[in-house]
Amino acid sequence: MAKNVLVVDDSSSVRQVVGIALKSAGYDVIEACDGKDALGKLTGQKVHLIISDVNMPNMDGITFVKEVKKLASYKFTPIIMLTTESQESKKAEGQAAGAKAWVVKPFQPAQMLAAVSKLILP
Amino acid sequence: MSINLDQALQTFIVEAHELLQVMEQSLLQLETEPADQDAIGAIFRAAHTIKGSAGLFGLNPVVSFTHIVEDVLDRLRDGSVAVDSRLIAVLLKCGDHMLELINVVASRGEPLQPAALEREAALREALSTYQAPHHTPDTGAQHTEAGAADRANAPAEVLWHISLRFGVDVFRNGMDPLSFLRYLETLGQITQVTTLTDSIPALDSWDPESCYLGFEIELRSTASHATLNEVFDFVRDDCDVHIDAIDEASDSAVSIGSELVAQAEQGPLTASVQRLPAASEPKTRDGNYVRVNADKLDELINLVGELVIASAGASLLARSCNNDPLQEATSTVSGLVEEILDGALHLRMIPIGDTFNRFRRVVRDISQELGKDIELTISGAETELDKTVVEKIGDPLMHLLRNAMDHGIESADARRAAGKAGKGHLSLNAYHDSGSIVIEIADDGNGLNRERILEKAQERGLVASGAVLSDQEIYNLIFEPGFSTAEAVTNLSGRGVGMDVVKRNITLLRGTVDLDSRPGQGTVVRIRLPLTLAIINGFLVGIDTSTYVIPLDMVQECIELDEHQRQSSREKGYLDLRGEVLPLVDLREHFSHEGSAGRRQNVVVVRYAEHKAGLVVDDLLGEFQTVIKPLGKLFGALRGISGSTILGSGAVALILDVPALLNQIVQLEARTPQAPYSPTVVAR
Amino acid sequence: MPITIETLDDSTCVSIDGELTIYTVAELAGELLPRMSGAPRLMLDLSQVTEMDGAGLQLLAVIQREADSAGTALSVTGQSVAVTQALELCRKAAS
Repeated sequence: MAKNVLVVDDSSSVRQVVGIALKSAGYDVIEACDGKDALGKLTGQKVHLIISDVNMPNMDGITFVKEVKKLASYKFTPIIMLTTESQESKKAEGQAAGAKAWVVKPFQPAQMLAAVSKLILP
Repeated sequence: MSINLDQALQTFIVEAHELLQVMEQSLLQLETEPADQDAIGAIFRAAHTIKGSAGLFGLNPVVSFTHIVEDVLDRLRDGSVAVDSRLIAVLLKCGDHMLELINVVASRGEPLQPAALEREAALREALSTYQAPHHTPDTGAQHTEAGAADRANAPAEVLWHISLRFGVDVFRNGMDPLSFLRYLETLGQITQVTTLTDSIPALDSWDPESCYLGFEIELRSTASHATLNEVFDFVRDDCDVHIDAIDEASDSAVSIGSELVAQAEQGPLTASVQRLPAASEPKTRDGNYVRVNADKLDELINLVGELVIASAGASLLARSCNNDPLQEATSTVSGLVEEILDGALHLRMIPIGDTFNRFRRVVRDISQELGKDIELTISGAETELDKTVVEKIGDPLMHLLRNAMDHGIESADARRAAGKAGKGHLSLNAYHDSGSIVIEIADDGNGLNRERILEKAQERGLVASGAVLSDQEIYNLIFEPGFSTAEAVTNLSGRGVGMDVVKRNITLLRGTVDLDSRPGQGTVVRIRLPLTLAIINGFLVGIDTSTYVIPLDMVQECIELDEHQRQSSREKGYLDLRGEVLPLVDLREHFSHEGSAGRRQNVVVVRYAEHKAGLVVDDLLGEFQTVIKPLGKLFGALRGISGSTILGSGAVALILDVPALLNQIVQLEARTPQAPYSPTVVAR
Repeated sequence: MPITIETLDDSTCVSIDGELTIYTVAELAGELLPRMSGAPRLMLDLSQVTEMDGAGLQLLAVIQREADSAGTALSVTGQSVAVTQALELCRKAAS
């Protein structure tokens, strides 16, 4: 059974690119446009890995990660933070919150796929 | 890996346009409220997202420029840079440049033109004064994935020994040591794995959620040391990782699990995966919206239009069959079709707000250019109308706004001298009114100069010299083609420049425009537009065997003409409607039908804006949902017809252009001052 | 119930149903380990395991270790594909 990856980003083109890359490798992709939306998507289905942007309206990525870590059924789920080179501090903040993996934006689809495959296989 | 990103690129382009719109709105917001953190956040996010997404598509010129903008915005966000009007002006221009980059580099895949590159250089220069002092220009070029390059250049296969000791928190952090092993398998061939469990403490101090695993792995792979090292990036902080190239297989340690596997080979290998399938989640974008290609929507609406006609045809047939159940069935279908039609049309309706908001920037720029202080107020932004109308109304509105600012609103000094506030005021308003939408552009400027307009109109032969015109009639003369020329350079000149074009564009949308002005107090331009362009509720009337459609929302009432009334009205050309003078148009005559009128005649009273008239027809045939088909060129010159439709019976019916008919009457009567009723002149 | 433990004569039969992962190891360990001592034979049915990760592997290693030290005869009566794949991955002999 394909693994579900939740992609949380306010940019629909980022979601689309990540989605295309992951689907081509055999993952199933669920999209959410911000932290709040993403928390809703975590219920009612199993998500095996979360990819989250940092800077988003409604609920930012750091808050979202902290919320995920509070959920019994998701506290051990791997989370990849999407950071930018100008956001070293955000990366550290994300790691402290529990998102130990990261991909630096802008990324090539192959880079994203590599990061995901290190954590779970499709 | 080749992944086709074309479609995603289209999404990016649309998204970037939206984000730039947000950026502009927020910058304007910031200009009025420099402390608005939400606005700063939104601006930053817009630039940040555009940069990040552009990088996905390798749009380096976009990334490179946006990076600098983002850099400055980041400093704005953390308070290192203060908001001032110069910065806002620079950032607005940066937004414009980003738009150009998106349009040229992303949409067309071309490099920027030299002129644009010059602009960019100037903007980079301007931005650099806001950047951190130690900043070195960033090219935005991204480091390529080291592993990929290494793999290409170093094809030699090496036997690697990888020694891993995972940290206790690895499981808790969502990392699975087995996943790293699986990933290594994708980089080469794992020839040997030894799982080390001797670090697992005694039972009483063992926490099942802590990781005490270690692995000794031998991997035959062409991957470089750096690539292998990268595999463990995410766990490096609390893990020991040693990667060495070796020549021969090394020692073998005791492996756990061997027994388990060996036994399993005899045991039942039931491979039941019992997890319930995850509910298939609809892929949503931006919350609850789905992006649909506008063409597909048009196709759908066109089909619905055909469906309406077909359903009307079926109803007509059913009615002639004397079959009650059949009639009932067709009427149910008709009801549903009508609902589908409403729904489909609604899909095309978008709020006018986005168009309105775009003008904030225009007003800001032009008022600065003119050295006037002008404030724009927007209301009714949520008013919805057809997408095509929204798209096409932008230019005329822009023109009207420019004129209002340029020629309507006076300079601050002149305003104060006239006892008004120094700050000029413009307002854009939209609202629904009897089946149409009205857009108002109002200024509190000096108003139009009635005398000059009249003088000019007479000079140009637009008005008979003896004609008596109301103020409003005179003001509306500025929409006349040929009214304005370049030589009219006075206060009212700008009002006239291109006003006929504005009017023509609005007319093409089946709309009308009129204007009201009060000397010294300002001018209001009112644009009246149909809600939709595709379908109207029609009222069918018959003349001889022909059928005509009158847009239902313009029909006020129907009156039967008796013999006496017919005589008198034919002589006078008007009807006494409860004491009101109602001009009549005999459609039989108007459309040159031969033969004499039937025994019975009816008058359909129509109203558009403030004009009323009676249309004389033979038969009243009732309501009909009408899908408008554009007229061919052949009928383009036919006055008083705006389109055609196909009836359920398959026959063609012409749709009356009521505004045009009304204007004809109005003009006719304006030229004959002795006419008992002289409605306002509306140019045509 | 993710785990069923039955005692028949001198055998303890344990079957695990569902995930054998970080999300379940704490509960499984809590249920299983205290019941192991004293049982001469332990039958482990892993045929209903849907998913297994490193934490699950570690739990199996501990079960084996405890069985060995107590002299309990451990046998696996069944294993799912997920279990087989995980075990194969971490137990590759030089070839």
